[in-house]
Amino acid sequence: MGAHYCSVCRQTTFTGKAHIFGKNHQSRLRVVLLKFLEKVKEARRTLKKPLVEKFDCTQHRETFWCYCCGLEIERHSTDGNMTVLYGGLIEHMSTPEHRKNTHKFWWDNKADPKLRDKVIIPEEETERFKVEVAKVLDSFVEKEDEFIKQQADYIRAQEKHRQEVLQSLLERDAETELFNGPNGTDVCAEASVSSQLASHGSDQHVGSSFVDTMAEVKWASTGQNLTFIGYQDSSSSGNVHTGAVPPWLQDDPQEGTSGATVHPEIGPSLQEFHKHKEQEKLRKLPPNRVGANFDHSSHTDANWLPSFGRVWNSGRRWQSRRQFRQEEGQKNRQKRKREHGTNGSKKTKPAEHQTTSANT
Amino acid sequence: MSLFLPKLSCKKDIDDVIKGVAEKVVVLRFGRDEDSVCLQLDEILSKTAHDLSNMASIYIVDVDKAPIYTRYFDISYIPSTVFFFNGQHMKVDYGSPDHTKFVGSFKTKQDFMDLIEVIYRGAMRGKMIVQSPIDPQNIPKYDLLYHGI
Repeated sequence: MGAHYCSVCRQTTFTGKAHIFGKNHQSRLRVVLLKFLEKVKEARRTLKKPLVEKFDCTQHRETFWCYCCGLEIERHSTDGNMTVLYGGLIEHMSTPEHRKNTHKFWWDNKADPKLRDKVIIPEEETERFKVEVAKVLDSFVEKEDEFIKQQADYIRAQEKHRQEVLQSLLERDAETELFNGPNGTDVCAEASVSSQLASHGSDQHVGSSFVDTMAEVKWASTGQNLTFIGYQDSSSSGNVHTGAVPPWLQDDPQEGTSGATVHPEIGPSLQEFHKHKEQEKLRKLPPNRVGANFDHSSHTDANWLPSFGRVWNSGRRWQSRRQFRQEEGQKNRQKRKREHGTNGSKKTKPAEHQTTSANT
Repeated sequence: MSLFLPKLSCKKDIDDVIKGVAEKVVVLRFGRDEDSVCLQLDEILSKTAHDLSNMASIYIVDVDKAPIYTRYFDISYIPSTVFFFNGQHMKVDYGSPDHTKFVGSFKTKQDFMDLIEVIYRGAMRGKMIVQSPIDPQNIPKYDLLYHGI
């Protein structure tokens, strides 16, 4: 008499067959079969009238435990889009393995043989079920298509409505532009307005501008005694209705220049940095070097001459420049005096003056 | 004639160079491109221009293009080389009668480089006139021309 594992009670007994007939086992088996039969009964209800639903991964992935075969089986059969409720269960119940296992289970556990046929679904019933399912699937697909079409219609209608609203807005803009035009050239519009004017009897405005009459007509029709200050022309810049930039966000031309100075660029600019670097480089050089504070960028006229100490020049270097200017002036005067060409060569003449200046 | 040295062709160019070049020796070579001694000098100048680029900017001036400078600098022999630093004329005591310019060609490249270095260092110390480092034998001899003497 060896050890025996009872799968229903989930325990190992050493009493052999006696356990199966025991009160404990039988009561537990009854509970198990009750639960099992409950599920099978639900499935059998759909056997005549199959149910097809749209696939829902949270609900249609359920499994159930077949006690007879000791297997976990998908409760519903699905293809990812649609689900046949209890399809998997019914399919499993009709297989010959399940039939064999069920017989074995009933024999092993000494269950009530009356209940046995309830968990076995005959082949012909399954066939019938399959035919039914095919029909139901067709109708379900049709229904789905119809639903999609309805959705599409709804979306189309929404789009159309949106377009209409947009169109009406654009038309209103176009109308205002038309009214702002130089003469209000739309004849039929003018005619309609004049007819309205006639009906209201305010004919004193016929000669005035078209815009004014239009506004007057509006106010007259509303019947309020308000002062009209004139139509505000906003066609160029737009207004609050056309989504233009509000005045407080626009640049004020008067404040434009002052604003730029009030909010300068933070930190030194690139040019200033380069200048500073240049000056840093110069600061390393000796301060008493030649021409240390010579202004390289100063603008000078065409007659500018650099400082130059001449050979025979005594005194400061700029004196040689002044001397040269004097010589040039003298030479020009001499040239003008003796135009018949007794003047000497250009090269030797300054030397002549230099000698004289050196001697003096 | 040198293809590698910048040329100044009018008075305004010369003015701009003398005024604009900062903290460097400006070397102005007055002469003519086809003159043989000028060609010798230009060779030396162009070969040393790169090495001296931190200390000197070397320019070639045609004596006929800027007559006012030719007169102002009393250029009677070509080639004549004049030095400026920060817009100031640098005089050099060569042992020759003329301190204002170097007349003729240098004998070697090293002579010219030494001269530029001495001028640069002197100018940095505030000297308006410096002593020439060149061996007196290597300085060409010439007579100053005086009209009527």
